[in-house]
Formats: sequence, structure tokens, C-alpha cells
Amino acid sequence: MSISSYFFYFFAAVLVTASLCVVLARNPLYNVLSLVVAIFSLSSLFVLLEAYFVGIILLLVYAGAVLVFFLFVVMCLNLNAETSSPPLEHGRLRVLGWTCGLSFLSFFILGVKSFLAAQAAVEPSSIRGTIETIGKILFTDYLLPFELTSLLLLIGVFGIVSLAKGALSTGTEEADQ
Amino acid sequence: MITLGHYLILSGIIFSVGIVGVTTNRNVLKILLSLELLLAASNLSFVAFSKFNGDYTGQLIVFFVILVAAAEVAVGLAIIVLMYRRLATIQADDLKELKW
Repeated sequence: MSISSYFFYFFAAVLVTASLCVVLARNPLYNVLSLVVAIFSLSSLFVLLEAYFVGIILLLVYAGAVLVFFLFVVMCLNLNAETSSPPLEHGRLRVLGWTCGLSFLSFFILGVKSFLAAQAAVEPSSIRGTIETIGKILFTDYLLPFELTSLLLLIGVFGIVSLAKGALSTGTEEADQ
Repeated sequence: MITLGHYLILSGIIFSVGIVGVTTNRNVLKILLSLELLLAASNLSFVAFSKFNGDYTGQLIVFFVILVAAAEVAVGLAIIVLMYRRLATIQADDLKELKW
């Protein structure tokens, strides 16, 4: 077994444990922090697959911006474990959710097995997703989708501003009444 | 030797954990976090297929997915903050009315 196999199993174990913590932990703060751990190990797996650019973007955008935003909201709303997780009276729903997830997993593993049996063993190719190679494709073949993404982010900003403004104006109306 | 199957099964495990999170949690914030897990699992399989097929397209799709997820999280969290201001709770069960 080569050293990269050890790294794969280590990061895979960390990823599975952290994502179970995301789903099962009671305190929302722990949910968000274990998602940070999961994103870090996912990015390490991307580096093992030699997708360096996507790995660093995942770290910067997810762990750097998105999850800090989550943490900000959790702390801003002052959610603690008691108010956010009342004792679940939805026992049926819980059983249904677990059967849904486990049956998806078993079907998925069966599907992967038959898919891999149908084709010959694939060797990893020698492509390396560095900034240079990804940037060349991004600014030639995928230029239009890339520019449309900026429009999408702009629409997102408009949406958030209008939501926040609506909340502020109704808040003052309620205060007036 | 780590094959494509290892990565696909790992991403399947993460995806099913995310499904369990979306279906069993009643806290809107946790549902949004579990959606992030679903996106992360599909990203992993995209990058694994890209590596084992020798095609960069998978990595570009992951790049776009990350951007869309950032916008989605921003709007989702704004809605959660708004819901907390109106209802003083973020349990999905308390959203019973179609009109405020």
C-alpha cells in the first residue's frame, strides 16, 4: 500500500466522521464547525486527486466565506442547544429518514459495483488541475458560463438587499403601529 | 491502490448522510448545512471522474457548483434571519401559514 492510500483512508475517515457530526450534533455551533472539518478533508482529497485549483477554491470560498457566514448567523440569532433542538416527537419521520438514507446507500453501492464491473479497470490519468490548465479552459471554452456566474452573484446580492430592506421597512411599520 | 470505486463509494456515503440530515432535522439551519453535504458529495464524484477519465470538465463543473452554492447559502441565510425576526424560531414545523 502506497503512502497516498494511507492518506486517502485517513481523510475519508475524517470526512465521514465530520459529516456524521454535522447531521447528529445537537448544538448548531458544533454542526457548523464539523462542516468546516469536513470541507478541509474534502479539499485534501481533491489535492490527492491532483485537482489543486478546485481544492484551494473550496477552502477559500467554503471554509473561508460560507461557513464563517453560517457561524455569524448562528451567533447572531443566539441559538443554543435547548431552543434549537426540542425533543423529537417525530419518531416516524426519523425512521423514514434513516431508511431513506440507508436504502439510497445500498442501491448506490450496488450501482457502483455493476458500473465498475462493466468496464475494465481504469487507471488514473495524468491530468493536473492547476490554475494554469483550469484557467485556460475557463477563459476559452467556458467563457460565457463564467461571465454568467457574475450575473448570478449580482442577482443574489439584489435578492439579499431586497429581503433585508423589506424586513427593515416592516420592522419600522410595526414600530409605528 | 485507490481506484475510482473507492471515491464513488465515499461520495455515496457522504450523500446518504446528507439525505438523513435533510429528512430528519427540523431545524432550518441544519437542513441548509446538510444540503451543503449533498453538494460536497457530488463535487467529490465529479473530481474523481475528472481524474480517472482524463477530462477537465468535471473540475470546471465543481468550480461553478461552488459559486452557485455560495449564492444559495447567502440567500438561504437571509431568509432564515428574516424568519427568525418574524416568528422568533427557526423550526421548519412552525412555518404553517402561506401568508404572514
